Amino acid sequence: MSWQAIDRKSAPADEGPGLSDAVKEKIRAFFPRYETKRAVMLPALHVAQEAIGYISVRAMKDIAELLELPPSAVMDVVTFYTHYWTHPRGEKVLMVCRSLSCQLMGADKLQHAIETKLGIKDHETTPDGKFSFMTEECLAACDHAPCLMVNERMHKRVTPEQLDKLLADADSDKLPMPRSDLYDAPHGEKPARGH
Amino acid sequence: MPKITVDGKQIECRDGVPVLQAVLEAGWDVPHYCYHPGLSVVASCRLCLMEMKMPHPQTKEMDWAPKLFPSCQTPVKDGMEVRFASEGVASSQSHVMEYYLVNHPLDCPVCDKAGECYLQDYSEKFGHASSRMVEDKHKNPKKDIGSKTLLYSDRCVVCSRCVRFGDEVAGAGELRVINRGHRAEIDVFPGVPLENELQGNVVDLCPVGALLSKDFLFQQRVWNLRSTPSVDPTTSAGATIWIDHNDDRIFRVRPRFNEKVNEWWISDETRFGWKYVADSKRLNQPLQRDNGAMKPLRWEAAPELLRRLLDEAASADQGVGVACVLSPMLSCEEAWLLSTFVRSRAPQATLVTGYVPVSGPDKTFPKGFKISAEKAPNRRGVESIIKAMGGPNATFEQFVKSAGDGKFKLAYVTGGYPQVWLTADQARAIGKVQTLITHDLFESALDEYATIRLPGASWAEREGSFMNADGLIQPFERALKPLDGVKSDGQFFHELVGRPGLYRGAKTREAMAEKIPAFGDIFVPRPEPEHAH
Ligand code: SF4
Ligand code: FES
Ligand code: FES
Repeated sequence: MSWQAIDRKSAPADEGPGLSDAVKEKIRAFFPRYETKRAVMLPALHVAQEAIGYISVRAMKDIAELLELPPSAVMDVVTFYTHYWTHPRGEKVLMVCRSLSCQLMGADKLQHAIETKLGIKDHETTPDGKFSFMTEECLAACDHAPCLMVNERMHKRVTPEQLDKLLADADSDKLPMPRSDLYDAPHGEKPARGH
Repeated sequence: MPKITVDGKQIECRDGVPVLQAVLEAGWDVPHYCYHPGLSVVASCRLCLMEMKMPHPQTKEMDWAPKLFPSCQTPVKDGMEVRFASEGVASSQSHVMEYYLVNHPLDCPVCDKAGECYLQDYSEKFGHASSRMVEDKHKNPKKDIGSKTLLYSDRCVVCSRCVRFGDEVAGAGELRVINRGHRAEIDVFPGVPLENELQGNVVDLCPVGALLSKDFLFQQRVWNLRSTPSVDPTTSAGATIWIDHNDDRIFRVRPRFNEKVNEWWISDETRFGWKYVADSKRLNQPLQRDNGAMKPLRWEAAPELLRRLLDEAASADQGVGVACVLSPMLSCEEAWLLSTFVRSRAPQATLVTGYVPVSGPDKTFPKGFKISAEKAPNRRGVESIIKAMGGPNATFEQFVKSAGDGKFKLAYVTGGYPQVWLTADQARAIGKVQTLITHDLFESALDEYATIRLPGASWAEREGSFMNADGLIQPFERALKPLDGVKSDGQFFHELVGRPGLYRGAKTREAMAEKIPAFGDIFVPRPEPEHAH
């Protein structure tokens, strides 16, 4: 009801999981690399999302405390980027490109197929926790439109017919190449999936 | 002072200001949302764009550069030439305005901001009268973000003024932009609402009807309000304000720009501190004690009665037994008139600085805005007058003590505080005075001892000037007719002194300045440029 105001004054009953001491330590390890604590925001959010799967209200508060910022400043960044999740996601996140080239090449058909097959809509997760689905702006592979990403792995020229196989493939999110060394890991820590 | 050329006309500007500020001060109406002279510059609304002459890359001749520049982010430079009156600028303004209205609900008929909204004004002047939007609008929600403020984010233009205010001026940072693109909204963190002591300012700052004051919600259409320049009566800081009123009722109080004191802001204490004016418990009938009981007294009979009582009390000893308590809630003019009257009959009367309420420490916010702990507007004014008048004087504590010791035969005690200001013990001590005249807004512990009790007027019903804690004398005007049965304090003192005609603040100040020259030097802040907001 559009004339009713949403209550933002009260905290939610369930703020979700917070960050463990180990995770907080991991975030603090980034401090020496930047001039200000504020600058650690993005890595801190990645670390938190990796640890608990998404960024809970509690986690935002924890990060705000670590970076000495108001919690609203953390929420600002979390909601700006679509790849930070504010609610739990499935094991595999399917991201369909919704930008022009992919749209012209049938991305909406692909989206429709996924939605009917999995019975979920944008930013929803299947009841078994296996899959989440979202749309995303240009994935920077327009020449292979329509594109679909499964977690960090890009699938090119995907047709609705390939979908069943893709969903059944346990390795659909395995990276064909190792992550580069430039991955923003804290000092002293080896890249998560190295050579 | 740099000189720049705008639309072919040369203007002189202050050093270091952005072009936008300079042209607004020179009288141009340039649309702008995100720019505010009291906040950092973000140049995000893209409404203030201008054309500028630059050296041509090949010929090095000065020519109009082929793109537009944000005038809010371009500092003035001597000799620079810019223009707003051009097809390029006009078409950019009209396109930007159209974008702003794409998802706007166009609910002006139920919007508090209607009439002072810069979406309305700019649409009319720089935009379009009708919308070409045929798709469904994206509708952002309405949100309850604090005890005093509502956010209708469907009306927001995401200028981020409120966010910057919270960060830079209030130092609290509760408000943020969440999401992006057309989904961008202002929000607070759930459970961390907007509760800083300056929050009311975000409602004034908001160029549209997105941030709304719960207190003012649906109370008045703004075009029915009249604005009277006034000075904050709640503290000694001397913030200048507008009283917005209609039909002798205050509806809201807003900051009035003041380069020396409060700049563009006021605290919530000032903003909502006027409620007592409309309190139904206010006194509205002069009373006189007659055989122990209080009986109505006609205002017309009061001056004669007071003169007689004063003469009786002062006849023997030049008025050594007379005291006059000048409340720091009085204006300078009123304090001067009353003390002049008392001293004219009782030359040795003791002048007392009234009770000065103090609450908490002084507070200073990141950019220098101050909330002062002294909760009365005119202690310094009253003190200066007492000093200039010479003769016996006392602090309030000394007065209470001597009164308790039975030193005084007659005392005229002015109050006028919105809150309870006397303890029962103090009242009992003052009650020892044989003839006690009280002049106050509300009932007090003194009432049972009073010989005469006069109802006072609130500051909004009076005129005069307050001297703030830094010694600035700032005049304020009368916004409302006094409550039925009440006479404005200044008018009554004017009659007591026996001056002809009506009491006027400015006239009294002139007369006063002849006796006390310091009061000839008043401060009136410079008005803000007409098209600035
Ligand atoms: S709520 Fe008002 S002040 Fe805040 S960003 Fe929106 S339009 Fe600007
Ligand atoms: S439009 Fe889909 S990858 Fe660029
Ligand atoms: S871009 Fe200049 S006022 Fe907003």
